[in-house]
Amino acid sequence: MKYSLTILLGISLSVIASAQSTSKFADITGTIGSSQGSISGSYVHNWKLFRKKKWEAGLGARWTSYIGTKVEFITAAPAKHTRSFTAPFLIVFAGQREENFDTLTVQRPFTNSVNISVNLGYNFNKKWYGGFNIDLVGFTFGRKGSGILQSNGTTTNDPGARPPAFNLLLTGDHDYGTLNSEFFVKYAINDRWKVRAVYQFLFVEYTTENVKQQIPEGPLNDRFRNKANNFGAGLSYHFK
Amino acid sequence: MKQLMIIAAIAFLMVACKKEGASDRPGMETIDTTSAVLKYSGSFGSGPYGTARGDAKVYEQSGKLVLVIDNFSVNNGPDLYVYLSREMQPVNFISLGKLRSTSGKQVYDIPGRPDFSQYRFALIHCQQFNHLFGSAELK
Repeated sequence: MKYSLTILLGISLSVIASAQSTSKFADITGTIGSSQGSISGSYVHNWKLFRKKKWEAGLGARWTSYIGTKVEFITAAPAKHTRSFTAPFLIVFAGQREENFDTLTVQRPFTNSVNISVNLGYNFNKKWYGGFNIDLVGFTFGRKGSGILQSNGTTTNDPGARPPAFNLLLTGDHDYGTLNSEFFVKYAINDRWKVRAVYQFLFVEYTTENVKQQIPEGPLNDRFRNKANNFGAGLSYHFK
Repeated sequence: MKQLMIIAAIAFLMVACKKEGASDRPGMETIDTTSAVLKYSGSFGSGPYGTARGDAKVYEQSGKLVLVIDNFSVNNGPDLYVYLSREMQPVNFISLGKLRSTSGKQVYDIPGRPDFSQYRFALIHCQQFNHLFGSAELK
């Protein structure tokens, strides 16, 4: 965690120090996946970097509303019981310990999250721009509802499944809460308005209240995560 | 652009709100009761969110257990399932699958050999909204 925050802080400070001009814009985006979807709105403040100013980096604030029907959430934590190794950042390449995975089927998940995001992008030319963004830290509120846990050959219904309140990017299964990330390309209609095509990778977490998973030779677990691969479209308004 | 946004919003709502109910055609399934042994039975009563009536019977046939619901009717719901449950409001349960019809006679396979001193209830339960439509205590 310390490494993650130090690196992110270092990137942010170096970005600000080398910046000479800015790009400020607001986005609204809708995405759809398998039995789920999201709508998000964000404000982004980017600094244009280097001599040609084709690269941009900066920070933003993003609201993401997520809704689904009968969505499967898989055992999310602790990372040492879900992944073959747990080194920060490298954990995304770690193998899965599926023998410890159980499934919580949340019947009607609905979450709203507000996060600080980091944004990176590149201006290919005056019309086309490509980029990536990911949520860093924030909070979530959402609907408490029924989740059906299939664990160790038994099926139990927990009417108190709910999203946890705190979100924090620590990479892979170290993460907490609901975190949105996007790869996108943006096309300029004019100086102000641009359209976006988006691939979204959205982590959504739910916790159980009454029933827990007993991880073999491990602790009781109440955290389950859905990793949604969604596609969508968006609209950007650029401020002068 | 405006039209594109409207189409995307409608598509999203269609995916998000998709619901499927049980068939309204009466079930016509049967088992050979001459070779099946009746183990437990009960009568359906209505739950807080539905009106159910009919018989629930557990038979053993060729070493396998089945739940037969007969003379049955229940009002339809978006996501009705048949459970064997330890509780009337299901917490610990065995799902026998989606309710196939809101009336008539239906036969559901029971996986394994559950302990019916614990799994005492046959339930008609709306899984998506966690609403009980009907229950029968098996004795």
